[in-house]
Amino acid sequence: MNYLEMKNITKNFGAINALQGVDFSIKAGEAVGLMGDNGAGKSTLMKIIAGNLRPSSGEVSVQGKEAIFSSPLDARRLGIEIVYQDLALCDNLTAAANVFLGRELRSGFGIIHRLKHKAMNERAAELFKELKSETRPKDLVEAMSGGQRQAVALARTRLSDPKLVLLDEPTAAISVRQVSEVLARIAHLRDTGHAVILVSHRMGDVFQVCDRVAVLRRGRKIADKPIGQSSPEEVTGLITGALEAV
Amino acid sequence: MLSEKHLSLLIDNLIWIILVVVFIFFVTQSEHFLTERNISNILTAAAVLGVLVVGQTFVLISGNFDLSTESTLGLGALLGLWLIVPAAAPTFGGGIFLNPFLAIGAVLLTGAAIGYAVGCLITFGRMHNFIVTLAVLLIIRGFILAFSEGAPVNGFNNPSADIFYWLGHKKAFFIPGIGNITVAVVATGLLFLVSHFILKHHKFGRELYAIGGNRKAAEQLGINANRRIRQVYMISGLLAAFAGWMLAGRVVSIQSNLGEGFIFTVFAGAVIGGVSLQGGRGTMLGALGGVLLLSTIDRGLNLMHVSVFWVKVIQGLIILVAMFLDAQRVRLRELSMSLSNETFEKKVGPKDEV
Repeated sequence: MNYLEMKNITKNFGAINALQGVDFSIKAGEAVGLMGDNGAGKSTLMKIIAGNLRPSSGEVSVQGKEAIFSSPLDARRLGIEIVYQDLALCDNLTAAANVFLGRELRSGFGIIHRLKHKAMNERAAELFKELKSETRPKDLVEAMSGGQRQAVALARTRLSDPKLVLLDEPTAAISVRQVSEVLARIAHLRDTGHAVILVSHRMGDVFQVCDRVAVLRRGRKIADKPIGQSSPEEVTGLITGALEAV
Repeated sequence: MLSEKHLSLLIDNLIWIILVVVFIFFVTQSEHFLTERNISNILTAAAVLGVLVVGQTFVLISGNFDLSTESTLGLGALLGLWLIVPAAAPTFGGGIFLNPFLAIGAVLLTGAAIGYAVGCLITFGRMHNFIVTLAVLLIIRGFILAFSEGAPVNGFNNPSADIFYWLGHKKAFFIPGIGNITVAVVATGLLFLVSHFILKHHKFGRELYAIGGNRKAAEQLGINANRRIRQVYMISGLLAAFAGWMLAGRVVSIQSNLGEGFIFTVFAGAVIGGVSLQGGRGTMLGALGGVLLLSTIDRGLNLMHVSVFWVKVIQGLIILVAMFLDAQRVRLRELSMSLSNETFEKKVGPKDEV
């Protein structure tokens, strides 16, 4: 059974049709590369999956049950985590505060509570260690390098054990060495039974770690096939419009 | 050269260092400064300002401004007394003779409602917070003038008005070396403590910092920024009304221009205390330091018999200095970070990456 199933998804922003009748699905243990030119609808589709946007029409189901996300918290509860292209970090907060933002550890009851700073710092330190990052939990994010900032964003996805991880251009702003480590992590996620959606402009990355590639152009899905049955040249042609839908 | 740790400590506690220096300066300038009476006066004068600064700090940290609080303060003071005292001279009230506790409840509710309405205009109406709160400041002030027709409301010898004097004037206890501590000072002190806890140790405070630092990121992570903004404006309005209640207890006669021009001092107090106008930064304890500094300077200049006109000039200069410090804080933070990176690399080698 598919972990995530999206049928006939449409999203309009006024007169702009960002997505038109897109079907998309992914299984556990599968990595899918989502590719397309700027404005193709990739980010919109990701935001719908992550709960930031609601589709104008269409159905979304998770593990066979219809899912309606009114906020990213709903998506998280169903095991969906996302690393945004801009990493969604608050520079004025510490690394640990950023990791736990929106799901802070608290002691108390309801509105009467206290944040558990020590526990959050310790857990964040553990996560950074697992990610082999020297990021320090009490450091402000504004002082961090690109790689450290990405470690903070990735650590967020490991707070719970997500079933589906969305990565929006994770290798866009990091060094070559870092790219290979991120790709290794994506492969590890896939190999340990997680579903992964990788949005990327980098053909090499997608063909290295993904099982399937889906291509969007002008809001429509024009290709969705196993990596082994495609090539970078074909995908490039689909993205630019040199090739029609396959 | 200062180490990263020392520089960071300096930046975080600059206001307290400045306060001590200024305090010592005034001690040397006037023999009446270091007296229990004067210290008590400093604290009492700081109380009303402190309440407003607490509200403004919440709003500033969320990345917004609230210019309307000085008018809400004036309305709160006027309305509260008006509901209680007789209509005839010399009180010029409404002649409603409302129970004082209900009157206070009405005042606080009015303040909260005004704040919430402001928050709704900004969030649902998608209007700029500066313009909305400026407009509300003018609207409320105009309403006060129209309602009172420029005449004051007085609580002369009116037992029903005692509830005001209790908060604004009544002595709570005495501390040797510091002097009489009024109920207002105790209330403001508790307010700062609770607010400090909320900002530092409560999810509400954490979300305000996130919204002020990067609203888009906060919303992407599921934080309802609009709801939090409406809530902070409601808190700001409520506290402005509370400050009005407090101030009404210190002045016998509520003039229709009560609180006019106060907003600049409120911003100065917050910014001097380290609360950034850009949002996302600052602490309640820092804001407390700013409040005490302004009150100390005001009392000190008064004891030095500095002309009130020059006091205005000095207050303006203080605001400029506060803005300058806020702008420089970014540079000081960057310097602190670069020292931090140097130290870090010395310990573990060049930063390892993901």
